[in-house]
Amino acid sequence: MILNPFGTADWMAIAPIVALAIASLLVLLADLVARPAISRYGAVAIGLLGTAAAAVLAAMQYGHVYAAFFGGFVTGGFTTVFEEIVAIALAGSLALYATLGDPKRIGGTVALMLWGSCGAMLMAGAANLMTIFLGLELLSLALYCLCGMVDRRGARESALKYLILSSTASGFLLFGMALLFGASGSVLLADLARPQLAANPLFWMGSGLFLIGLAFKMSLVPFHAWAPDVYEGAPLPVTAYMSVATKAATLAVFARVLYAALPAGTASHVMLPVWIVAGISMIAGNVGMLAQHDLKRLLAYSGIAQVGYILTAMAGGSALGLRYAIYYLVAYTFMNLGAFAVATAISGEHEEGARLVSYAGLARRRPWLAAAMTFFMLALAGMPPTAGFLGKILILATSADSGYAWLGGLLVAGTAISLYAYAKVVRAMYLPQSGDHHVADLRPIAPLAWISVTLCLIGVIAMTFYPLTPSNVLPLLR
Amino acid sequence: MNPYGPVALYLCVAFAAALLFSVLPGLVARRKPNPEKAEAYECGVEPTSAVAGRFPVRFYLIAMLFVIFDVEAASFYPWAVQMHALRIYGLLEMIVFIIVLGIGYAYVWKKGGFAWR
Repeated sequence: MILNPFGTADWMAIAPIVALAIASLLVLLADLVARPAISRYGAVAIGLLGTAAAAVLAAMQYGHVYAAFFGGFVTGGFTTVFEEIVAIALAGSLALYATLGDPKRIGGTVALMLWGSCGAMLMAGAANLMTIFLGLELLSLALYCLCGMVDRRGARESALKYLILSSTASGFLLFGMALLFGASGSVLLADLARPQLAANPLFWMGSGLFLIGLAFKMSLVPFHAWAPDVYEGAPLPVTAYMSVATKAATLAVFARVLYAALPAGTASHVMLPVWIVAGISMIAGNVGMLAQHDLKRLLAYSGIAQVGYILTAMAGGSALGLRYAIYYLVAYTFMNLGAFAVATAISGEHEEGARLVSYAGLARRRPWLAAAMTFFMLALAGMPPTAGFLGKILILATSADSGYAWLGGLLVAGTAISLYAYAKVVRAMYLPQSGDHHVADLRPIAPLAWISVTLCLIGVIAMTFYPLTPSNVLPLLR
Repeated sequence: MNPYGPVALYLCVAFAAALLFSVLPGLVARRKPNPEKAEAYECGVEPTSAVAGRFPVRFYLIAMLFVIFDVEAASFYPWAVQMHALRIYGLLEMIVFIIVLGIGYAYVWKKGGFAWR
């Protein structure tokens, strides 16, 4: 560390990312030397150890502000929170992968998940345009491969679709960044907040293109068509990972741009298209859910709407809004991972438990799993005894408070529509249907999947009673 | 003048030139087609096989791996030029880079990525 001309802050700042990177290299090495081949549990154990190390290192940074790499990566409360969300998503999907992974591709898949998380964590702390792009591409490149990591036609389709569409979005993002750099003469997000930029047409064009890129990655409505297809084709653990980690990382970038990188007074104009698009997403996502017969597609449409809810919380640009957005995002992480964990628990070796018909009669065969799934569905729908309800109430309050009551109204309307779609899953499990005795339980008991379900349940319930909203996030954002 | 003026000028010239060169032949060229002219142009040599031939997929894998390692090796050049300025820190960074590269290389090798089968 003495040798480092940039000072120790740089190393301290990226310590969680380094831990993940080292873990992924160890997985690859273990895969090379192990005879005959590394087991799922071995690879996942190394991955989980790396994740735990990264989570601890990130937690130790809480409240310590390091501005590393000439201001390109900033730590503190905000970064820590999003790094922890990524770590939770990574740990959860690794546990699911240990249950369901393709035995031929263990090492590569686990390593790619870890590298993708490096990218997501980089995005969480990115404070200049280049770091944002670097993190985004690291995450996306890993996901392109991960989507195709199973021998299934749908998987290849999913990987190709994601590659082509996501690269297009990256093009928009990059073009926007180039224009923003042209306008401000600096890649630092903080320099974009200079007031004279508000009169520069390059700034407006640049931020527009930049936001289109982000909206694609968050799968907001005009740019959402990829999500259901990609989610459906990708392996189940990868879908679980994508649905949480990509959204969290992109939301981190979005929040930092919204709160720290806009000239004063321009936020309501620059971001207005985003709020409109978020409002449409809440309706269209929930309507799209109604027609689905596949849990992954259903949760993809659900995710489109959920991002809309989270953006509604940020709409006013208030500190409280950011707190509630983070609260809802953490709750969503647990609910969504939990639903995917149940799907994993009922999966067989060659058959993912993603189709809604495989839930028929689950209440009779596996009452506890069915109860857990019901709880997650109620939470995603935002019903009273869950963290989802509390989150939505807080979001409604803050949106009304900051003058975006119309977004709150759309949230309520969207929620009403979504109830039917979530209830479809519950109905499949509880109501006896013709021929449900033909659906055999596909797998005896998958310990890791059941543990994941339990942990996610605990997470959602704990969020309800102890609303963990880090209070000092906003001052640490810049 | 706005610093982006020259860029706009360049853009206009580029578009005008491209438009001109694609429209002009249609207006002034004389058309005397013969079978030789209708063939695909391949460096002035007579084409020996159909253009849409079939490649083994292996070729793409090898080519892709070559590009990856080639680009990674190319990143040694800027470091080599700046080696004295970066001193021991640069050297250590490069060693870390080589270790990561080496693990990747070993992984590809062990997994049979270089085998032509």
